[in-house]
Amino acid sequence: MNEVKHRKLKISVLRYNPQDPESVPHMQTYELEEADGMTLFIALNEIREKLDPSLQFDYVCRAGICGSCAMLVNGRPALTCRQLTKDLGDEFTLAPLPVFELIGDLSVNTGKWMRGMSERLETWVHAKEQEIDLRRIEEPMDPELAEKLYEVDRCIECGCCVAGCGTARMREDFVGAVGLNKIARFKIDPRDTRSDDDFYELVGDDDGVFGCMSLLGCHDVCPKQLPLQTQIAYVRRKMVAMAFS
Amino acid sequence: MRVIYTDVLVIGAGLAGQRVAIAAKRRGHDTIILSLVPPKRSHSAAAMGGMQASLANVIKGQGDNEDIHFGDTVRGSDWGADQDVVRMFVNTSPKAVRELAAWGVPWSRVRKGDRQVIINGEKVTITERDEAHGLLAQRDFGGTKKWRTCYVSDGTGHSMLFVVSDHVIAEGIPVHERTEALALIHDGSRCHGAVVRNLITGELVAYIAKATTIATGGAGRVYRVTTNAVICEGTGMALALETGAAALGNMEAVQFHPTPIFPAAILLTEGARGDGGLLRDVDGHRFMPDYEPEKKELASRDVVSRRIEEHIRKGKGARSRFGEHVWLDITLLGEHHIKHNLREVYEIAKYFNGVDPVKEWIPIRPGQHYTMGGIRTKPTGESPTLKGLFAAGEAACWDMHGFNRLGGNSVAETVVAGMIVGEFVADFCDRTENDLDVSTGLIREFVAREQAKIDDLLHGKGTEDATRLRSRMQDLMTDKVGIFRTGAELESAVAELEELLKKSRNLGVRSKSTGSNPELVTAYRTQKMLKVALAIAYGALTRTESRGAHFRVDHPRRDDAQWLKRTLATWKDETASLPTLEYEQLDVKKMELPPGWRGYGAKDYIDHPDTSKRQAEVDEIRTKMEGADRFAVQDALMPYEHLLPERLRGRNERIDERLPL
Amino acid sequence: MNRTLEVIAGSDLVERPRRSRWPARLDYLQSASGLVLALFMWAHMGFVSSILFGKNALWVVARTFEGYYFFGHRYPVIVSIAAAVVLALVIGHAALAVRKFPINYRQFRTFRGHMAMMRHGDTSLWFAQVVTGFALFFLASVHLYIIMSNPGKIGPYESSFRVWDQHLWPLYLLLLLAVEFHGGIGLYRLSVKWNWFGGSNPDEARHGLKVLKWAITVFFLAIGLATLATFIKIGITAHPIYGERYVPTWQQDALPGHGGQAAPVAGQPATTSQAGGAQ
Repeated sequence: MNEVKHRKLKISVLRYNPQDPESVPHMQTYELEEADGMTLFIALNEIREKLDPSLQFDYVCRAGICGSCAMLVNGRPALTCRQLTKDLGDEFTLAPLPVFELIGDLSVNTGKWMRGMSERLETWVHAKEQEIDLRRIEEPMDPELAEKLYEVDRCIECGCCVAGCGTARMREDFVGAVGLNKIARFKIDPRDTRSDDDFYELVGDDDGVFGCMSLLGCHDVCPKQLPLQTQIAYVRRKMVAMAFS
Repeated sequence: MRVIYTDVLVIGAGLAGQRVAIAAKRRGHDTIILSLVPPKRSHSAAAMGGMQASLANVIKGQGDNEDIHFGDTVRGSDWGADQDVVRMFVNTSPKAVRELAAWGVPWSRVRKGDRQVIINGEKVTITERDEAHGLLAQRDFGGTKKWRTCYVSDGTGHSMLFVVSDHVIAEGIPVHERTEALALIHDGSRCHGAVVRNLITGELVAYIAKATTIATGGAGRVYRVTTNAVICEGTGMALALETGAAALGNMEAVQFHPTPIFPAAILLTEGARGDGGLLRDVDGHRFMPDYEPEKKELASRDVVSRRIEEHIRKGKGARSRFGEHVWLDITLLGEHHIKHNLREVYEIAKYFNGVDPVKEWIPIRPGQHYTMGGIRTKPTGESPTLKGLFAAGEAACWDMHGFNRLGGNSVAETVVAGMIVGEFVADFCDRTENDLDVSTGLIREFVAREQAKIDDLLHGKGTEDATRLRSRMQDLMTDKVGIFRTGAELESAVAELEELLKKSRNLGVRSKSTGSNPELVTAYRTQKMLKVALAIAYGALTRTESRGAHFRVDHPRRDDAQWLKRTLATWKDETASLPTLEYEQLDVKKMELPPGWRGYGAKDYIDHPDTSKRQAEVDEIRTKMEGADRFAVQDALMPYEHLLPERLRGRNERIDERLPL
Repeated sequence: MNRTLEVIAGSDLVERPRRSRWPARLDYLQSASGLVLALFMWAHMGFVSSILFGKNALWVVARTFEGYYFFGHRYPVIVSIAAAVVLALVIGHAALAVRKFPINYRQFRTFRGHMAMMRHGDTSLWFAQVVTGFALFFLASVHLYIIMSNPGKIGPYESSFRVWDQHLWPLYLLLLLAVEFHGGIGLYRLSVKWNWFGGSNPDEARHGLKVLKWAITVFFLAIGLATLATFIKIGITAHPIYGERYVPTWQQDALPGHGGQAAPVAGQPATTSQAGGAQ
């Protein structure tokens, strides 16, 4: 096999450690030789191992399913574990997701934000009964509906939609597409007994669905290609219908 | 020194840990969960394919029940499993899947009428019953006699994890994210909680609890090639090991999944083969039927992985610049199926390899996947040697997988163990004799000890580099403690791992930040990982037989006479370089299913002297009770129901097995 | 929602005031007023551009809206009323939309930064909408006020004099640009916001809508510029007869002396237009 000449990558990373009073945000550039099939996961780990052990970033599954590793790649939110370096130029920038609390460098506290969102929107099935007779055959569900539910249940709470949302950037209490998608998901779930009235309580204001200005940054950056545009439209229509009924 | 008191401390926020927490909280016990990462990022999310539960809704699952699931699981384990625990598991799994259905998991459902499936490379039309319409669907998985694996497209673990995590939120259970337990607080016989480091601020906090549950998942990252998430470093197991009191069971039982994508080793679900995918070699030849004419691609994972490696060793692997591999061919399943039911497979192939699996074959090669071993517990989940310490899920060895786990049984185990162990944790906390009774001196001592270790790493004179030690360990484990093992290689691996462990006592870190400091984290975790790696390698060296996933080229036969026993590793002396190994005999005389041939893989094994006697007994009971209902027969063979928590007892209803109203 | 809460907290807490329905209504009204204004603008452009078909065409259109063909007399007050209604809609729409604007410099800067970072079409379009909307509030108000206060002075000459001799063409040029961009973007956003034409493949539909949006904007801009150019041209050529009303050709033929009776304004004596340049 003949040796392939690899590119030299120049990766500029936004460095800042809010815990350190001396630290100021600045860009730091690392030079790295590209490898075959290199992802940003591999590249950043290599930087940490060989160039800078203090560099902070988060990976868990490194397979595009856990949502830990969203960052701004050249300014756009993306899951970096599955971002191949060959699809980027020789020079590119990495920065932490905005909106979320910064832990350090590329690491942000999406977990805290998402837990707050879940508590606020009560993102669980509100069932009729607390105790189910587990010995009995389960309630049937239309197979198409189950598929439809999974289609929107695929959200991994990576935070890309929130970081890509102009409204969320301007107004910190906005629920974001992640939250609205969940409302849509539980609204079509027949196991959830909540009425439109109840959902209105959760998202019926300008921090909720009416704050959305349909910039669709969320839809266009969602790494799971969730149909966020139509989900939000669905919630909006239902909530407006509620208000006029 | 900050101390947090609670009734129940759960370390690890995957499916098992969170389900334990829910059970305990519902019984009225204050519960706190610790997690390295936000709970929804846990590795449970990666379980794509599904969860085994013998619901028998689909036509290909008709006739399935607990007995068949039991038999499959025990055979899969190569008789290494605790059969009582397997019974508890198979009876609770249908309840667990139904509970999750009620909680909101969007399980794929049966559609009545005809549908086309691929079986053994052929298109076959099967007809689903009207009465099954809308009930949970099952798919085919390796090592099972019936289609039993309930699934959510190919995001089963994801959907389950989100539903359970949201349930934790609904129950108001606090999850202390980005915290890491560094040591259990104990007095040699009773566990009182843990010393916990905040990964953002670096602060050490003592969490004091009546019951402490470790549910930290597997140890895949001690290997270089693994499907496991980067947080699956086995450090939770090390917490138990480092007490010197609790033991790790069967650590040498490590599963290698047949079809991680090559070279990134990201898991491609067994569902790909369950749904009809084929394995092909360099010539495009479908080679599995040559080795396993009965189960073919769907033999158990240990067998398929070995056959792939064997075939590659024969020179039949396809070559790439990263090395050799074989192909997974799912093109025959069609675009709609691939993009809907195997969407993750599609995405992984597309994003990581630029392969379109609708048209092209996917390169795969076996890689480390699952840790059958773990913290040894009783069927209640409690350590037999350290009171108040519980474990559940992959981190535990209660021991339902023995030496090989079936696909679909791990994600099932997480929630089933969560339900069962959660009840026992609650029972434990209910008893007044288990009230908190710990001296502040003990707490202070443990916190000070951990603080000193960290200070030493940050400011000591250590010179060794943790990353280098770790990567050498990972190479050794993959190269010498892998699918095919030999005494000589294992010996050299153990020797070098011991060296690495000694070096790891002299680590230094360059970045001195006391707060968030990835290098520091790597350092102290590497010390723990080396102990776990040694437990695996040393256990593998000592076990001179082949059983399930543990395959010794120099001892290729299963040897029930010598080795029908469970390895127990303890680390009694902190300065030792090897764990102490002891063995726990499995009692053939009590087995419902005495050892025999698995139905796939090697037919050649050495019987235990009691096997034939027990087999005769079993046969006799079965003949005598011919015509009796299967529950009575089972009870006569091996009564187990008394082991289950009361609320989880009872039969499971099926279309063909109705319960009285 | 939670029955146990009712038991614990008592009915006072559970029956707390429900969340106001107004945010929903306002959101709906913002969209509805925008839609009406956008549709009005299309129609308006259609009427004004009748000048491209000749002076007579515009004359007929203008008289129609004064009710001439219904009542036999001109009632310019109808135009005033219409303009007042539109002005009210504009003010209402602006009041609703301004809620979404950045409310302080920090938000403004954040959004600008976000836009630069994302390089995302729909995000940038929104900012264009904010800018054009802001401009429109002034431009449209001025225009509407002029029409409201001079309702009878719509016609081939009258309008041209306004555009050229009264130096309002820069206002109309800016107004045209602002309106066409704002309305086009607004309609596109409305359809994705409410998923009107989503169909079975909303992503494809959205792509189609965006192409359509640009096509419509270009179309109306072209017509609008041509119309404005025509008024300017008439304004320049008719400069010598500044102040004179236009008389449609058939009336010029019917009446001697090139003037004749224009359509009479109700309640006013019919005026006879003097021939231009008679002195």
